Amino acid sequence: MQNPYKPDLMEIIGVRQHTADVKSVRLRFKDAERAKEFDFRVGQFGIFSAFGWGESTFNICSSSTWRDHIEFCFRKVGRVTDALWEAGEGDTLGFRGPYGNGYPMDEWRGKDLIFLGGGIAMPPIRCAIWYALENRADYGEITIVYGARTVGDLVYRDELEQWAGHPRVRVVQCVDPGGETPDWKGEIGFVPTVFERAQVAAGNAVALVIGPPIMIKNTIPVLERLGAKMSDVYTSLENRMKCGIGKCGRCNAGPAYVCKEGPVFTFENLRSMPMDY
Amino acid sequence: MSERISKNDLRQRAGEWIAAGKAVAGPVQVKPGTVLYAPLAAADALLLDGWIRPSNSIKEFIFPRHEALYGYRIDGAGITLDDLPAEIPEQIIVGAHPCDASALPILDKLFNWDSRDDFFNRRREATTVITIACTAHDEQCFCTSVGLSPAAERGSDALLVDSGDGNYEVRILSEKGAALFGAAVSGAAVDSIAPDGSALSPAPAAGAPERRFDPAAVAEFAKEHFEDPFWREHALACVGCGACAYTCPVCHCFDIVDEGNPRGGVRARNWDACQFALFTLHSSGHNPRPAQGARQRQRIYHKFFMYPEKFGETLCTGCGNCARNCPVGLGVLPLVSEICHAESV
Repeated sequence: MQNPYKPDLMEIIGVRQHTADVKSVRLRFKDAERAKEFDFRVGQFGIFSAFGWGESTFNICSSSTWRDHIEFCFRKVGRVTDALWEAGEGDTLGFRGPYGNGYPMDEWRGKDLIFLGGGIAMPPIRCAIWYALENRADYGEITIVYGARTVGDLVYRDELEQWAGHPRVRVVQCVDPGGETPDWKGEIGFVPTVFERAQVAAGNAVALVIGPPIMIKNTIPVLERLGAKMSDVYTSLENRMKCGIGKCGRCNAGPAYVCKEGPVFTFENLRSMPMDY
Repeated sequence: MSERISKNDLRQRAGEWIAAGKAVAGPVQVKPGTVLYAPLAAADALLLDGWIRPSNSIKEFIFPRHEALYGYRIDGAGITLDDLPAEIPEQIIVGAHPCDASALPILDKLFNWDSRDDFFNRRREATTVITIACTAHDEQCFCTSVGLSPAAERGSDALLVDSGDGNYEVRILSEKGAALFGAAVSGAAVDSIAPDGSALSPAPAAGAPERRFDPAAVAEFAKEHFEDPFWREHALACVGCGACAYTCPVCHCFDIVDEGNPRGGVRARNWDACQFALFTLHSSGHNPRPAQGARQRQRIYHKFFMYPEKFGETLCTGCGNCARNCPVGLGVLPLVSEICHAESV
């Protein structure tokens, strides 16, 4: 009997704390054969579990070009993430996946890439950034605008610095007014306005926009003004999930199972779907 | 030539199946006024007449309320996963209603699209469903509005039709049914119903509930009026108890949880329901369906628009359990009646 709910066992080989309540975890399959055959597309997600506490859904935030491990990033907000917070190197977690559609990185070849993220939305963008950087010749100009409420809420700050050092990559970091520290060198303002001030050409660009609903709502008109086509503007939905395989009945946004037809949608798709996310 | 069996003989057969060690379930009066599908310890308890339909559905014998998916053992940093004993005893459900039996082929599609859910499949295969055609209905019955009828054969392994003289005409509809009654299959169960109702089985003498609405019109309303105040207004009374989903033959949403102690336990799936506020709550605090109106809409939308779009089936068999079990008078038929009233369809 096949059991699609039974996870792979993975060993924690690294933990990084990004903020007071955000950590990322690096995992390796315990089964060497499974590790060898495992493949995924950036933008896909996994269902990760702490045994005794339960399962939670997170984007696989490492690049699919990294063959020896996967990573996920989480904020400590509840029962399962409290248990994940306590887990350390050498501990065992469960993983099911990869699930969902992922970003169409092949279709994005030859385009400029605009990444717009807010808060804890950096991890699902980070995997695409690394993928693009590791296939650098395939993509044009890369712009990354990332903001959080306060300096202390920014995640992957070291990697943001690293990316800024790459040729043809522009990184703009911002924090909400009042969220800055005396030594803050980035912008002060919200992602949509900071992005508009950055004067990025969007005519030949694909944009990936992930963040809180209010950020997305205010960023889309900016992209439209810059000439982006809504069929080239993508996001990743976060509907609550349990099974990840189109059975448990809770993640649908209108007629689409986010776990199967998503989580990645274009805004052209979303505009034809009812507001159920 | 069809077989016949008397009511007494049917009860006696059920007794023989129980005596042979098979798990047999059927309608049982569990307390005055309450009939449930329940395991039968003795055939005497089997209720054949004098009630409309049980308050639950037969889905719980194939998709149990609680089902362990695998076990886990925790030993320091080490985890061991255990497959759980997969021996599923052969079971017989006797006295199912057509609105219960027909739920099973509808659910087959969900549990077998994309990836197979063998937890469902193995119980489905181990189950023989003997259906008794309805001879009575109440004001909540609406099988004829969703392409079924009081004598619909779909999903049954045998259909027993009361011939009014203390006997049932036995229609054997599958090999499983044939094996139980020692008779030949007399015809395949009607597995698809033409929109004009042409494939409907004839209703027994007592008559069928009148057709109350057109499911396509309900689908159209749910799709076109997604943001309509209709849902909020008509869901004001909803207390979000989930009784509609739990007693529905086709509602299948589930949760996955860990149950155990610090040394180990099982990861299990439990029934869940779209009427609960936590059902879609994000960890950020955002909830795409923040109030009961959106949750009632989801139930109608899923049954009449989303499921038909995906699987070509209405996710409703017209049993009326949602309305009968609702503490505040909601349910599919009451809501759909309001839709028809709003739309004059």
